[in-house]
Formats: sequence, C-alpha cells, structure tokens
Amino acid sequence: MKKTKFIILIIPLILIFFNLSSPQEKPVPLPPTEVKAFDTPNDNGHSLSVTWKLSPDDGAGKNNVVAYEILRAESPKEEFEVRGMVPSGENLFDDKGSREKEDKNYLPSHKNYYYKIRAKADNIFSESEVSNPAFAYGQWYHTGKTPVLAGVIIFSIFALTFITLARKGKKLYIRPLPGIEAVDEAVGRATEMGKPILYVLGLGTAADIATIASFTILNRIAKITAEHRTTILVPCYDSVVMAAAQETVRAGYLEAGRPDIYKEENVFFVTSMQFAYVAGVNGLMLREKPATNFYLGKFYAESLLLAETGSIAGSIQISGTDEIAQIPFFIAATDYTLIGEELYAASAYLGKEPVLLGTLKAQDWGKAVVIICLILGALAASFHFQFFLNLFRVQL
Amino acid sequence: MRRTLPFALVTGVGFFMLVQYFVPKEEFEIAYEWILDWTIVIGCFAMLLGLWSLTRVNISKVQRKTPGWGYSLIAIAGMVFMLLVGFIPGQKSLERGSTFMLLFEYIYIPIQATMFSLLAFYIASAAYRAFRARTVLATILLLSAIIIMLRLVPLGPLSEINQWLANFILTVPNMAAKRAFWIGVGLGVTATSLKILLGIERTYMGRD
Amino acid sequence: METFGLWIAALLTLGIMSFLYKDNPIYKFCESIFIGISAGYWFVSLFWQSMYPRLYLNIRGAISTLLHEGRISDDRWLYLVAGILGVMMLLRLVPKIGWISRWPLSFIVGSTAGLYFITYLQSNIMNQIRSTIIPIYVPGNLGISISNLIVFVGVFCGLVYFFFSREHKGAFGGAAKVGIWFLMITFGASFGFTVMSRMSLLIGRIDFLFGTWLGLIK
Repeated sequence: MKKTKFIILIIPLILIFFNLSSPQEKPVPLPPTEVKAFDTPNDNGHSLSVTWKLSPDDGAGKNNVVAYEILRAESPKEEFEVRGMVPSGENLFDDKGSREKEDKNYLPSHKNYYYKIRAKADNIFSESEVSNPAFAYGQWYHTGKTPVLAGVIIFSIFALTFITLARKGKKLYIRPLPGIEAVDEAVGRATEMGKPILYVLGLGTAADIATIASFTILNRIAKITAEHRTTILVPCYDSVVMAAAQETVRAGYLEAGRPDIYKEENVFFVTSMQFAYVAGVNGLMLREKPATNFYLGKFYAESLLLAETGSIAGSIQISGTDEIAQIPFFIAATDYTLIGEELYAASAYLGKEPVLLGTLKAQDWGKAVVIICLILGALAASFHFQFFLNLFRVQL
Repeated sequence: MRRTLPFALVTGVGFFMLVQYFVPKEEFEIAYEWILDWTIVIGCFAMLLGLWSLTRVNISKVQRKTPGWGYSLIAIAGMVFMLLVGFIPGQKSLERGSTFMLLFEYIYIPIQATMFSLLAFYIASAAYRAFRARTVLATILLLSAIIIMLRLVPLGPLSEINQWLANFILTVPNMAAKRAFWIGVGLGVTATSLKILLGIERTYMGRD
Repeated sequence: METFGLWIAALLTLGIMSFLYKDNPIYKFCESIFIGISAGYWFVSLFWQSMYPRLYLNIRGAISTLLHEGRISDDRWLYLVAGILGVMMLLRLVPKIGWISRWPLSFIVGSTAGLYFITYLQSNIMNQIRSTIIPIYVPGNLGISISNLIVFVGVFCGLVYFFFSREHKGAFGGAAKVGIWFLMITFGASFGFTVMSRMSLLIGRIDFLFGTWLGLIK
C-alpha cells in the first residue's frame, strides 16, 4: 500500500520535472517576403542594396523576430554566406564591398549576386525566397550632391558676371578696411627707420587657400618694398611654400622694376615643426628688429607667441587669418587684424584690379543669397515646411 | 611653355578635382587618390629644397661672420647630426628606443613643451594690453572671456548664474557668430579657388 | 641614460624659460639646437614614413614584377610620375631651368584649388545654412524661440558685417555693428577657453621640473 502511494506520488513529479527541463518548442517566425536586390545608388560600383517586406511576426503576430540576417551567393544553387545583420523593424541593408581584388570583402562590378533574408528569433529562423539577380555599377553623377552643384553654378555665374562688368570698366565700390589702409604707412615706417619688414605666411602649406591668398598680398607688399628699397624677410614653414614665396617676391621686384635688388636668401626655409619655426622667427624678430610684421595666412597656437614677441620688439603688426580660434590673440596683440573673409578680400583691396574687385562683388552677392535662404528657411521652419530644409541636405 | 603649361596644369587638375566630387565612379576615385599621393611625394622632394635653404642661409652667416654666427653653426650641426643618426644602416630610426628617437624625446619634446607653456605668460600680457583699450568691443570681448573662464571656478551663489550665462554664450551668440564667420570664409575660399582655376590668380607662379 | 636625458631635458627647459626674462645666449643656444634638430627630424621622418614606402618600395616592387613575372602592367609604375614631378621641383636649384619647378607647384596648387572650391562650399556654406534653418517661433517654448531668434539675428548681422561693397552706414551700419558685437563675444569665448588649456601646459612643465627632475613634488 505504501509502495503504491509512493509510485502514485513520484510518477507525476518525475513527469513534471522532465516537462520543465526539456525546452518548449519555440514557434518559428514567418519569413520576410518581396526581397529585392538592386545596385546601391551614388556609389563607386562596389555595393549592392537589399530591401524586403518585414516578417508578419515582426512587431505583430508571434512578435518574436529579433533580427534579420542578410545572405548572399553568386547563384541561387550555391551556398549563401552571411553578409550582415540588422535589428527587427528594419528592411534595408547596404552590402558594401571593397574595390580591391586582394581584399576579402571584394565585390566586383557587373557581376550578378542573389540574396536571401533570414528572420531570426534567437536560435531559430526562417528564410525568404531568393531575390532577383542584381549587379553593382558606378554612377556618373551623385544625385545627393545636387545642392552643392547648384551652389557652384550660382557662385560661378555671379563671379563671371561681375568679372565681365569690371573688365568693361564698371566702377565697383569697396568699403575701407583699416588693416589694409595701414599697409602703406607700415611699409613707409620701415623705410624711414631703415629696418626690414617681416612677412610670416603662417603654418599652412601650398595646399591651403589661406596661404595662396597670402601670396597675393605678399606680391603687392614685395612690390611696395622694392619701390622703397626696403628689405623684406620671409621665413617659411614649408618648402613648397618657400619655393612659391620666392617666385612671388621676385615677381614683385620685377613689377617694381628692381629685379637687381632682389635677394633670394631673404625668402628662406626655417623648419617644418611648429614651435621650432616659432623659435626661429622669434629670434629673427629680436635680432633684426623689423619695423613692421605681417602675419597673414594659417596660424595655430603659435600665433600669440609670434604676436607678443613682435610687440616686445616694437614692430607695427598687421595680422589676418581664417582660423577663428587665433583671431582673439591677434586682436589682443597686433595693431590691425583682418578677420576671416577679410584676408581673402585683401588682395583686391591692395591691387584694386577690376577682376579682383569683381570676385569680391560676387562674394557679396553670395552672402546676399545666403541671407535670403536663411530668411526663407526660418519662415519655412516656423511653418514646418520640411522641403526647404531638404534643399540643403547633402548626401556624401 | 614657361607659363602656359603650368596654367593648363592648374586648370586641368583643378577642374578634375572639382568634377570628381560629383562622379562616384571607381576610376575617378582612384585618380583622385593618385593625385593626393603624388602631392605627398612632391612635398618630400621639396623638403630637400628646404634643407638646402636652411643650410645656405646659416653657412652664409658663418662665412660672413655676422653677429651670432656661432648659433648658425650650432643649428647646422644639430641638423647634420640628426640626419646622420636618422640614416644609420641597419637601424630602424623611428622605432622607440633608437638613438634618433631618444634625441627627439630628450631634446625636441622638452623644448617644444616649454615653448608651448610660454603661452600661459603671453596670454596674460596680451589680455592686459587688449583690455586696457577701453573700447566697447574690447569690453565685450573681456566680459565674454571672463564669464567663460570662471565657469569652472566655484563662485558660491554666483556659480549657477555664471554657469547658465557661460552655457548660453557658448550655445547661442557664439554659435551664431561662428556660423557667419565660417560662411564668410567659405565664400572667400571659394572665390580664391575659382580665381586660381580661371588663371586670374597667378602670383605663386612668379614672372619671367 | 635616462637620468642623463632627464638632465638635458630639464636644462633645455630652463634655457627656453629664460626667454621670459630677456633674450640671452642660453636661449639662443637652445633655439639653435631646436631648429637644427627639428629640421633633421622632420626630413628623416618624412623620408621613412612617406618617401621610402611610397616611392622607393613601390617602384622596386614594380621592377621586381617586371623582372620575375615579365609583367609590365602594374599600377605602381605611376609613382614614377610623382618622382619626375619631385625632381622637377629640385630643378629650382639650377637657375637656367629653374622655371620647370612651376609645373609641380601648379600641380599642387591646382589640385588644392579644385578640391577646396567644392569642400568649402559644402562644409562652410551648405552645411551652415542647413544648421541655421531653425524655426523663429516655437509654440509653447519661449526660451527656445528667443534662442533661435538670437541665433538668426547673430548670423544675419555677422554676414552683414562682412559685406565689402557697401559702406557701413544707416540701418546697414547698425546691423554690421551688431554683427561685430556677436563676433567679439565669440572671440572672447575662444580666449576664455584657451586660457585654461594654456595654464595646464605651464602646470605640466612645472610638474616636470619640480616633480620628475628634482623630485620635490611626489
């Protein structure tokens, strides 16, 4: 009797135990459908994209889809390899390949590939039908960069229009800039004192537009110094800049009709390390005691060291840079500062050539267009017209 | 030949760089990368010009026995020594622990760091001079600088107000002015680049 | 070796700091060493990191492919073009044919101009316009509305300040004045930010002298 009671009690316990320890069968999610493969737009021809209709069990039904796995093969009958994974709710994947043949991730152009999507729920999954074949190819035009193209066209039209008007003799007014008006006085001071002029092109390379803008100013100042028979010293940070600076200064002396007094050793290389360059220029300032220092170009942390040392040496200092972080130091330590765009406008101010004044006018018209865009944009944003914001969206 | 070909090169390469931005094709991408690579190699050769210039200027000072010619000798000696140590056969100069890198670590780095630290003194003297100017603009600059400087300093009951003010300055007027500045610079760079591409800007090429 | 190096570093540090008093022979000595060492370092690192792998190894690889595989089609031969342009640069040293150096210079300047024309248009103009397209009035949020209005006014007036072809007079001059005030606030903020970081550099050097070298600070 006791034995029977024991068996009656123990068997259900054993059955319950086995039921709890063996995993319950989890339901397989329904597969995604309508898998479409296509060439990724606006790329270099080594990427394909896949889109699909979400599994009915993604966010509904059994609601057990956690992710989608994307698989690819060169033919429907071959083994598919996993290319990536996206979380549930997403239905787009860019299969970005490399263009290098040696790379494991190489995806050649003009070769068909097939895709399948797996809807995953932990360790179980279901697979979609195989997609259409698709091959990657490069596009001739990146549609996402159309706003930039529009900008190029608009600005070029402004520039060419005003250059043409200027060449026809139309007078273009430009407002006075204190820093530029002081140049003649500064050079005159150096001539009277019999001291040289120091021109620092900054730490930019010949690949910096600020440095190239500075060359134009250097050319004008070299011409003025040649006319006054004043020495100009140009210590350079970069070797290519040194080469261009030598050409620029020599051209200035030629234009002034004084090629005989040009000395190439006055335009020299110091070093291409930031603070070593500063140490060299500081030493030059304290020994040569130039009457006027020009700092025009690209400057970084060394700007204050240069400006303060020049101040200690008693020089008149005219500075200009497009590095916003350095402008406060130039304002504090130099006599005149060209702020940002004024550096690029300086060449037009010094030369007053019609063509240069024309591009300055184009810059102003560019600013006017920007202001109009901002006003319209503010109104559009206030009334929730998203389309205006999208006009300036650039896809890279 | 002397100016026509360089001008053609500027315009040709320049317009290619402009066009390649809009053309995603692989061939354009590869050409773009080649151009950037070649620019680096040209820069390496140009460095020889720089070393030659530095040597010539300093040797000239030594030969003419200009005041301070001894320092020119030291500069040349330092450069030559570094070059010799940098090309010792069999030694990887740029490897940590090499003679070359030890010289860099114990001579160059301390001097560089010290030069950088001199800015702490210069920033104080520059601020003193600037704020003595007593113009409206200098006052605005001074007030803004003080508020930002004090934002990390415990000021008791004033801390909260200063923090709020500093945050407001950084996120509102500071951001606004920066955008105007960057737009201006963008237009300046665009205009200058266009002038270079069209051959209007040629001063860097010199004259014959 | 390390102790010797430490002493050298400390003495050079003091030598440079002596400049704060005035220009002196010790500072000049340190400066000369600095310039010489830096020029040498720069060339050596540029050679081993750029010239050697890009030019020498690639051309050597292309020659090796030609000799061992008999294959001439190798992209690496294109580095010869860079080498030729580089040599043209060096011809600057020969006065009669120095004008040839304009070709590689034009190559560099042209490529930069084309690239920057586009990238600055995109980053400095398009992106900034896009970021500044903000609603002037946000219903229910006065604080954000005022902030957005100030940003709009700041950008507008800042751009007016940079106009070159109109005199700063009347209402236009007034807007330009507001623009420069906004700019001064920005410059002051930059100044304030930088002061703290420069002070920390000085603290670093003091720590090196009194801590690492003299062992007075633990």
